[in-house]
Amino acid sequence: MVELIFKRFTLNQRIQHILFFTSFILLAYTGFPLKFPESWWSSWMIASVGGFDNRTLIHHLSGLVMIGVSVYHVVYHILEKPRYDVLFNLKDIDDFKQQMKYFLRYSDEHPKYGRYTFKQKVEYFGAGFGAVVMGFSGLLMWQPFEAMKYFPIGLIQIAGLFHTWEAVLASIAVFIGHFYDEHFDKFLNMSWWTGNIPEEEMKHEHPLEYEEAMKNRPTGNMEHLEHKENNILITGFGKIVFTLIFIAICSWLVWMSYTILYEAIVNYIL
Amino acid sequence: MGGIITDRDNKWYQIFNIRKLTLIFIFLLLLSINNSIAAEQSGTGDISCYHCHSRLVSDFQKSVHFDKNTCADCHGGDLNISGSLVSINVMHANFTGKPTAVNIADFCAKCHPGSSGVYEESIHWQKLKEDRPAASCTDCHGIHNILSSKDPNSSTFPQNIAETCAKCHENQTRMQALYYGIKTDRFDTYKKSYHYKSYKSGGGVIATCSDCHENHDTRIASDPKSAINPANLITTCGKKGCHEGAGNVFLSGGKIHEEQSVYLLSFDAKRIVTIFYIIMILFELTFTFGLIFLGITSKFDIKRRH
Repeated sequence: MVELIFKRFTLNQRIQHILFFTSFILLAYTGFPLKFPESWWSSWMIASVGGFDNRTLIHHLSGLVMIGVSVYHVVYHILEKPRYDVLFNLKDIDDFKQQMKYFLRYSDEHPKYGRYTFKQKVEYFGAGFGAVVMGFSGLLMWQPFEAMKYFPIGLIQIAGLFHTWEAVLASIAVFIGHFYDEHFDKFLNMSWWTGNIPEEEMKHEHPLEYEEAMKNRPTGNMEHLEHKENNILITGFGKIVFTLIFIAICSWLVWMSYTILYEAIVNYIL
Repeated sequence: MGGIITDRDNKWYQIFNIRKLTLIFIFLLLLSINNSIAAEQSGTGDISCYHCHSRLVSDFQKSVHFDKNTCADCHGGDLNISGSLVSINVMHANFTGKPTAVNIADFCAKCHPGSSGVYEESIHWQKLKEDRPAASCTDCHGIHNILSSKDPNSSTFPQNIAETCAKCHENQTRMQALYYGIKTDRFDTYKKSYHYKSYKSGGGVIATCSDCHENHDTRIASDPKSAINPANLITTCGKKGCHEGAGNVFLSGGKIHEEQSVYLLSFDAKRIVTIFYIIMILFELTFTFGLIFLGITSKFDIKRRH
């Protein structure tokens, strides 16, 4: 069976994504042990990157990479032809309603998504908001005595508060929400690496975009590819490994958010 | 033989009958007492105090003082007089039994005049002299089992200092009973700082209690000589190896143990941030896990599978 291949991400976008998630994982891995220094996993994780000084160095360098990618992304958007399909619109509300109706068995019709689903838009702007918050608060905390020349210590403590909360919020969004939807549910989704999306998936996930693309079809832009059936043993094994990693990360994040929420609710609300 | 074997037919029974066994037992008992006394005396270097104060002496054996000092160096008395019967024999040469908290500094001053002299200017000593309970040498360093501050088991090892201070300063009943206006959350607030988190998660020790408050010369913040007096904070924080060149800094902006906040139109900014994120995270957890759950249950319908 021969099927069409659609280009979803350009090389530039893929490199941005790879740099962003690599720095994100490193930041989370070297950051959370410092927030919970008395947990059993904390010293283990710090030892695995080769000591506390390495941890700090990796955290700072990854932070710089993330700030760099975020700034570049804004520049990239300004230089590129402006696109509006990633912005929120009224159709997202209808999509959300339809999705809930579908899930709750009020309707058997799946919502027809365009290039980006409402969830992907929330994740995209969430990542943008997070990068701004983490970048500024992180820079303030990097050199507290430098920062204290210009700002009161209260502001630096607030930066620390923002840094922790936003880290937990972003990690839940990325490691649970984004990871499940894009890399677990659509196993094995390689479009982050190749930039391609097969016709079958395009029809299923982004029907509106598919219709649009087929209507004004530029002949040169599409490749044909022999459809390969994946080896069920390899896929099954991969799914088991992914499930285990996913469950471990989920419980870790849920434990951390429970701890931090409990402390905050006791201190600030009760 | 083939018949019934009784106890008396047993060869071993004939060799060790009950009388012989009892005699052997008594003999062994005597032998062991003799042996243990010999072992004790050789192990403790003929400390006659060991006969009655065995626990204290075995504590003392582990301490840094054991090689250089004897009991008499601190407690007075004469060790050369055998104390095998009653310790009254030891007590004759200016013997001091259990020292009071005020005496302890004098005890230590015999060999450590420097540290004791500095300590006698501290707030702890001032309060002790006023007959109020406060930390003396032994409260931080231990009594008989004093270890070097380089020993990881020592209560004055840099990574253990916070716990050592917290013994008293976190204890609400103790701090209330002699209420000097000291808050008991000092260790908890220190725990939130990078200073604590660094060493707790395997990094180097950055700053612990005694680095800012001084170990022997602990003074109240309002004392102009105190390291934590606002006028001296720049030198204290700007120590070599710490925040060197911490000059024109907004140090007056806040205290390190206190939660400082910025107020926006009379609203506490920290409260606003926290409540905002509590709502966001609760919403996000519901949203994320809800959609994952609904997505999975949706797949149980065969007609919905693609």
